[in-house]
Amino acid sequence: MAGPGGDMQWCFSQVKGAIDDDVAEADIISTVEFNHTGELLATGDKGGRVVIFQQEIENKNLPQFRSEYNVYSTFQSHEPEFDYLKSLEIEEKINKIRWLPQKNAAQFLLSTNDKTIKLWKISERDKRPDGYNLKEEDGRYKDPNTITSLRVPVLIPMDLMVEASPRRVFANAHTYHINSISVNSDEETYLSADDLRINLWNLEITDRSFNIVDIKPANMEELTEVITAAEFHPHQCNTFVYSSSKGTIRLCDMRASALCDKQSKLFEEPEDPSNRSFFSEIISSISDVKFSHNGRYMMTRDYLSVKIWDLNMENRPVETYQVHEYLRSKLCSLYENDCIFDKFECCWNGNDSVVMTGSYNNFFRMFDRGQRRDVTLEASRENSKPMQVLKPRKVCAGGKRKKDEISVDSLDFNKKILHTAWHPQDNIIAVATTNNLYIFQDKVN
Amino acid sequence: MECAFDAQNLISISLMKIQSSRTQRGGIKLHKNLLVTYVLRNARQFYVSKNLSQTQRTHQYEDVAAVRERQDYFELPGSLTELADDFYCNFTGVESDTWHCGAHQHNGQPAEVAHQDASACAMLSPSDADLMVSEACWSCADKSPWELPIPNAQANQKTVLDLDTHVVTTVTNGYFHSDCCAPSKQLQGAQCYAKKRKVDTSYHIVDPEFYLPDFGPVPCKRMRTDDELHSDSDQLDSTNISNLISVLGSGGLSEFVSWQQTDLEQIFAAQTICLKHTLLTGSGWTRAIEAF
Repeated sequence: MAGPGGDMQWCFSQVKGAIDDDVAEADIISTVEFNHTGELLATGDKGGRVVIFQQEIENKNLPQFRSEYNVYSTFQSHEPEFDYLKSLEIEEKINKIRWLPQKNAAQFLLSTNDKTIKLWKISERDKRPDGYNLKEEDGRYKDPNTITSLRVPVLIPMDLMVEASPRRVFANAHTYHINSISVNSDEETYLSADDLRINLWNLEITDRSFNIVDIKPANMEELTEVITAAEFHPHQCNTFVYSSSKGTIRLCDMRASALCDKQSKLFEEPEDPSNRSFFSEIISSISDVKFSHNGRYMMTRDYLSVKIWDLNMENRPVETYQVHEYLRSKLCSLYENDCIFDKFECCWNGNDSVVMTGSYNNFFRMFDRGQRRDVTLEASRENSKPMQVLKPRKVCAGGKRKKDEISVDSLDFNKKILHTAWHPQDNIIAVATTNNLYIFQDKVN
Repeated sequence: MECAFDAQNLISISLMKIQSSRTQRGGIKLHKNLLVTYVLRNARQFYVSKNLSQTQRTHQYEDVAAVRERQDYFELPGSLTELADDFYCNFTGVESDTWHCGAHQHNGQPAEVAHQDASACAMLSPSDADLMVSEACWSCADKSPWELPIPNAQANQKTVLDLDTHVVTTVTNGYFHSDCCAPSKQLQGAQCYAKKRKVDTSYHIVDPEFYLPDFGPVPCKRMRTDDELHSDSDQLDSTNISNLISVLGSGGLSEFVSWQQTDLEQIFAAQTICLKHTLLTGSGWTRAIEAF
């Protein structure tokens, strides 16, 4: 992406998180999400915490503007729970965060762990009432007989305080592990998906939900696939898609029937028989599905590639990008060390011209759809001087390794970028390594 | 990234993943285990078809197509039963009809599909028939070894995994025959297999004390010492049975974990693990997993 003619040059902006290499498991970032304006950036971690960063926007019009995100709010969203009936511990890890469109001064987001979704209200308080004459200094109520007049308290400024309060708790609707939540464009409903079912909720109602997809077979012996991700269409409130572990995507129309087990469209690409291996089923499992902002395309991520699908063409994707094809010959090792089960996410830029996804060795990849170019960049502390331009990286798959290339065997598979997010309007990206959040921006920005 | 890439190794790795998933925080992950069973199925299909074609090259009495066709009995859905049951045990104990602390009960096996393992029987001399104590080996009694059809895995074949030495063995109707080397031997496994079959028929003689879930408990067995294990890690004899882990049962799943006596209370306390009590009678059993 580097080069003249308006191409993007990515620069380091900020890094959040602990510096030391000894990573506390609770600090492992498990989800990253910009809100609809890009002013807020939320992260969830394995310890059940949500940290929200806010962008400084005062100097946005200056040429040397460096968007800086600072901590806005931190709160404990989920706690570990224990299901005594089933003798099971329920992890507090935040699987997904989704922002609601802003309607008033407060911000709302949905956060979910394996079993429970919560609606959080994040509101600012920068004034406080002062001048009560009904209470003593220490807060005790005065004897009413001593009060001779009524004084209306006055709001006086105070230091900004950001409060997060749980407004709704949507619990006990999922037997299996929740993998996705998605807010509908109608701004009233949202869906939550687990391995076998998808439920539709009203944001106001917590004691009931509608089951709209159920792929659990009557006999579990016949189970061959699970739901891996689901998302509502960005504009059509009746349409959603869900992906499966078999590499298929089903588009459903809620107007067709109450239970959307029969898809309206089935997107599937036939497997290339020459690539058949012991691990074919694993690498074809889709780990993420995202609609484009314009609603015409959707993107899927499986273990080795990113595919762009036209919603009007079901039999094959319109574009396929190889993320790290050099891993195909290493699948056995990746199976042994469990890396083959890593679930990478993917994201679109604001105008749907570029897509991004993560890889290993703290590499992440961008594919420019229009210019048919791709680049590999690295999120590392070594390249973290302010506004330092990121140098494209290259992996040597075999043969003679050139200078500055890194060989496949030198890749660090413990350093993986699973979660990335792109600002909805600007060229600012958030990339999560294991426990650090990197923010990069386009130099021109 | 070096890895000993062979089907047997994949089978043992997969089974260990399934086993370790039972104790993972957050409960069993259905998606991951589903994918692991796909690998298990693929590896087992490859492994069995490889061994069968090896057998056919040696004996030439089977129709390859028939073999391949009948290998289709290794269907993934059947193998998921135990995982599903166990998952049910964890999540929907009310819903699952087969909930039994995670164990899937063997279905009754249709008599017409019970075939003796041709290769095993083929290696037996007629005099060895006297040593066939297993009453389930009826087709051996009826037919000469050379006429036996190919094995139907659903009927009576178990793949046995020793978690300590990673030795994989196929158990058929009370007969077990070592068909593996230590993982380091990799592709020589097929050759070792053929070689052992011809040289050492003791592998194929059923040990009356050998425990098979279908055939009742086994008395105390001698524990092999580590020295013994390491010295002939690529050979299995009856004394090694105590360390064997029955991995792939025939037909449906019947997963269980057997631990040493001291761990019994812990096991009974853990509702997700179903212990076949018959296994515990033999102090020789160390670790046993019968996955599917």
